[in-house]
Amino acid sequence: MACCRIGVLETGFSLLEIVMQASRFRWHIVIFLAPAVIVYTAVMIFPLFNTLRLALYTDVDQVRTFVGLDNFNMLFGDPRWSEQFWNALGNNFKFFFIHMLVQNPIGVALAALLSHPRLRFAALYRSAIFIPTILSFVIVGFAWKLILSPIWGIAPSMLDAVGLKSLFAPWLGKEAYALITLSLISVWQFVGIPMMLIYAALLSIPEEILEAGEIDGITGINAFWKIKLPLILPSIGIISILTFVGNFNAFDLIYAAQGALAGPDFSTDILGTFLYRTFFGFQLQLGDPYMGSAVAGTMFAIILVGVCIYLFGIQTRLRRYQL
Amino acid sequence: MSALTLKNVYKAFGDTEVLKDISIEVEQGEFVVFVGPSGCGKSTLLRVIAGLEEATAGEVHIDGKLVNTVPPSKRGIAMVFQSYALYPHLNVANNMSLALKQEGVSKAEIAERVQEASRMLQLDDYLKRFPSELSGGQRQRVAIGRAVVRQPKLFLLDEPLSNLDAALRVSTRLEIASLHKQLDATMIYVTHDQTEAMTLADKIVVLRDGRVEQVGSPMELYNKPANKFVAGFLGSPAMNFLPASLLKDGDTRVIGLRPEYIYLDENGPLSAKVQHVEQLGGDTNVIAMVGEHMVTVRLFGQHAIAPNQQLTLGFDPATLHYFDE
Repeated sequence: MACCRIGVLETGFSLLEIVMQASRFRWHIVIFLAPAVIVYTAVMIFPLFNTLRLALYTDVDQVRTFVGLDNFNMLFGDPRWSEQFWNALGNNFKFFFIHMLVQNPIGVALAALLSHPRLRFAALYRSAIFIPTILSFVIVGFAWKLILSPIWGIAPSMLDAVGLKSLFAPWLGKEAYALITLSLISVWQFVGIPMMLIYAALLSIPEEILEAGEIDGITGINAFWKIKLPLILPSIGIISILTFVGNFNAFDLIYAAQGALAGPDFSTDILGTFLYRTFFGFQLQLGDPYMGSAVAGTMFAIILVGVCIYLFGIQTRLRRYQL
Repeated sequence: MSALTLKNVYKAFGDTEVLKDISIEVEQGEFVVFVGPSGCGKSTLLRVIAGLEEATAGEVHIDGKLVNTVPPSKRGIAMVFQSYALYPHLNVANNMSLALKQEGVSKAEIAERVQEASRMLQLDDYLKRFPSELSGGQRQRVAIGRAVVRQPKLFLLDEPLSNLDAALRVSTRLEIASLHKQLDATMIYVTHDQTEAMTLADKIVVLRDGRVEQVGSPMELYNKPANKFVAGFLGSPAMNFLPASLLKDGDTRVIGLRPEYIYLDENGPLSAKVQHVEQLGGDTNVIAMVGEHMVTVRLFGQHAIAPNQQLTLGFDPATLHYFDE
């Protein structure tokens, strides 16, 4: 009986406490959250929504006028805008696919090589491959312009030295090659990031699992396909989405290497450079903040859709393995 | 023909010699336990047998064939790891069948062998589950099943019970023992736990600092330990060591006396002062001081003995062991 009475007493107390707590507003939560919420709202949320709002207006006789979705209609349908927009969007997808097909497989392969226990100078290779990532776009763009220049670049003379001069073409200057060349330059610059992420993922695979594979006869390339690759798939997913977001926000490299007109003849124009010209204007084109906002809003929507597809369609299906 | 023969095996990592001149013979169907304190090289020895490490010198024969240069998967062995090392991305059935698929065994045969193993290990309900959805004991059984389906000539088990809780450890120990009988397989089992060694082994190999201290059946080792180390390592509570001069002046040897062979005797030769009493219900362990030497006495049943009490202890001289210091 004694124990029961104590039980009742305890329950009584805890109920009372709950009631007391619920009736008191927890100010400390608000106060602790406030700095982050205020700063984030000021620099991210407010500008974002204001830009989206701006896309619904236009300038009529120097008065800001609400026009609904007219800007978007013009962007997608009016040939003056849409031709450039679809060109930039298509180029952007090419830019993205080249990264996915070249940068990420090479990154994974480099990581697999680097994680080989008997590789000597691994730290040296790792740093050397990662260094371009920390360089400025301006330096990278300018350096590659110099390297590939048909007049005073070192690429033609280096090819000449091995007797392959006939292979040289002014890659950055030809419409057919320029976008691919710039994509590969970007791949060269950023291949260190997938490499590092995959390298870390590979190192986190317990040695005993690989040894169990060795006992089961799964070694070398088989071990990579059957054990390591399935275990690093979540990291590859993250790399893909980082590549997607990075590529659809890209601007700097094209601007540094080809200028805002993304020549030759807009063949390297991507959404970033298109946005820049639209918003700020360039040479004879006048800047139009309203159309620019429409382009920015569209870019935001594309990235949002891509990220959502990844988050809800792919990531939920990827099993996070408990290693 | 012996299932495993090690001839003068040495292993060094750089300048550190981990295994020194190990020669062991394991018969077909034997259950051999490598036991020793941590760092004695028992796991390394198992890895040398498995082929995960290369012996620096010496020969490893499995089933009569020299396997020094044979890769692990071709040695006819299967290994159960301490951490289980299950493939996290494969379900239980695929974990067990991966090696067979790699070997190119037919699908029908794989299915049959997996079924057989899962029945033997009571894994039928878990075949579609992933390792992360299993408890420690279930993972352990999957790891054993992965070894069983390969039908190896030699099972290698590396501290397979050390990640289980005490109760599960006892029941899994029994399962391993019955599995050994069912499969009639040769098993080599590494542990630092002398109870596991005593209860499972046909033959125990006691290792210390990379050397074999003694090889023999559990009772041989218990009754006739070759040296003080083996005597102190096997048996729980551990053997008491006292200078022989306590009994006979001028004797420089050390006597070993197992706690279970000491009894209370009013006319006994040893007088002791009780330090601490452990009541286990079935047994009572008395830790007492004989002069400045600590002695553990294991008394059967329950005894009302209190700390600081004076006891006189006796023993049968035939149960004494003598060791040279």
